[in-house]
Amino acid sequence: MTLAALCLLVLVFGLVAFDWATLRGKNRRALFLEVAVFLGGALFIVFPERATALAHMVGIGRGVDFLLYPTVIWLVRESLLSRRRRMEDSERLTHVVRELAMLRAENLVQSAGAPSHSAGVTASLTA
Amino acid sequence: MIATETASAVRSPPNQGGELRGPVAILMPVHDGEPGALGRTLGTLREHAESFGGVVVFLVDDGSEDAVHLRDLPAQTAAFRVVLARHVVNLGQGAALETGRQLALAQPVAFPSLRRREAFTAYVTMDADGQHLEADARALARAVEEGADVAFGNRFLGDSNVPTGRHAVLVLARWFERFITGLRLADAHNGLRGFSRTALERVPIRQNRMAHATEIKLRVSRASMRVVEVPVSVRYTRETLARGQRNLSGAIILCDLMLQYLFGE
Repeated sequence: MTLAALCLLVLVFGLVAFDWATLRGKNRRALFLEVAVFLGGALFIVFPERATALAHMVGIGRGVDFLLYPTVIWLVRESLLSRRRRMEDSERLTHVVRELAMLRAENLVQSAGAPSHSAGVTASLTA
Repeated sequence: MIATETASAVRSPPNQGGELRGPVAILMPVHDGEPGALGRTLGTLREHAESFGGVVVFLVDDGSEDAVHLRDLPAQTAAFRVVLARHVVNLGQGAALETGRQLALAQPVAFPSLRRREAFTAYVTMDADGQHLEADARALARAVEEGADVAFGNRFLGDSNVPTGRHAVLVLARWFERFITGLRLADAHNGLRGFSRTALERVPIRQNRMAHATEIKLRVSRASMRVVEVPVSVRYTRETLARGQRNLSGAIILCDLMLQYLFGE
C-alpha cells in the first residue's frame, strides 16, 4: 500500500469515526449510508486494480476516472439543487418577514370595510 | 433633466421651481444607521414637506439591532407622516425597499382629501443616512409629475464628492448595466429614484440585497417606460463610506444576479 492510500484511509476512517460519534443519536439511516459508501471507497483505495478492471469493462482507461466522472457529475447537480433550495428558503423567509412587517406597520389605521386579516396592507393614514 | 434614448417625450409642462402637486411617498430603508442621521434626514423632509405637497415616508427598519421607534422620530404634521415597518431579521436593502413599495402601493388614501388612485403623485426611493438631499428627492418627484415614468438620479451631473475608487467602480458598473439592460444611463446603483404609480407597480423587487439596483433597471428596460435622468448630489462622508457598499460588493452583486438568472423567474 502506498503512502497516499494510507493517508486516504486514515481520512476516511477518521471522518466515519467523527460522524459516528457526533451523529449517532440523530441520523442513524443516513449514517449507515455514509459508512457503506465510505467503506466502498476504502476498498477501492486498498485495491485500486479492482476499480481499473471495472473501468476497462466500460471503456474507461483508469479506475480513478471511473469513480471520478459520476462523482463530479453528481456533486455539480447536488450543488445546483442546494443553491436552488437555499433560494427558495430565502424567498419563503422574506415573504414571512415582510408579511409580519406589513401587518405590524405603525401609524396605519384600518380603513372602513377592510378585512381584518390584512389590516396592515389595506390601512390608511388619518389626518 | 436628461431624457434617455429609451424615453419618449415628457408631455407635462416644465416646472423647475415652486411646489409640487404632491403628496409624495418616500421609500426609505434603514439598518443600524449612524445615530442621529435618520432623525436629521427625516427632519429635513419634515421641514420641506409643504413644498412636496405633503410627504409620507415609508420607513422600513431592516432588522436593526437598535430598533427604530416612532417616538424617536421627528413629530408628524398635517403635511408630514411616517409609516414605520420592521423586519424582524435583516434581509437586505432590496427586501426593505420592496416592503416599502408594497406598503406605499397598498395605501388606499394617503391623505383623506385624495382619491384612491391619486394618493401619491410620485414615489421616491431615498437613503436614510444623509447621503441624499431632500431637494434632489423633490427634483425626482417633479420629473415624475411632469410625465416621466421613472426618474433616475445622476450623481455625476450634480455636486457630488465621489471618491476616486468609487468613481472607477461606478464607471464599470455603468457599462455592465448598459450591457445587460440596454438603458444608456450615466450613473449606476444610485439610490435616488422617482417612480410614477404605474411604474412602481411594474417594478417588484426580488433581489434582497444590493443587486436590486440592477434588477430595477432591467425591469424598467423591459417595460419600455419613459425614463429620465436628473442631476443629484450625493454626499460621501467617512460614515457613509464605511457603511455603504464596498468596492468589492460588485462581485456579490454579480453572483446574486447570476443566481437569479439561473433559478429566478
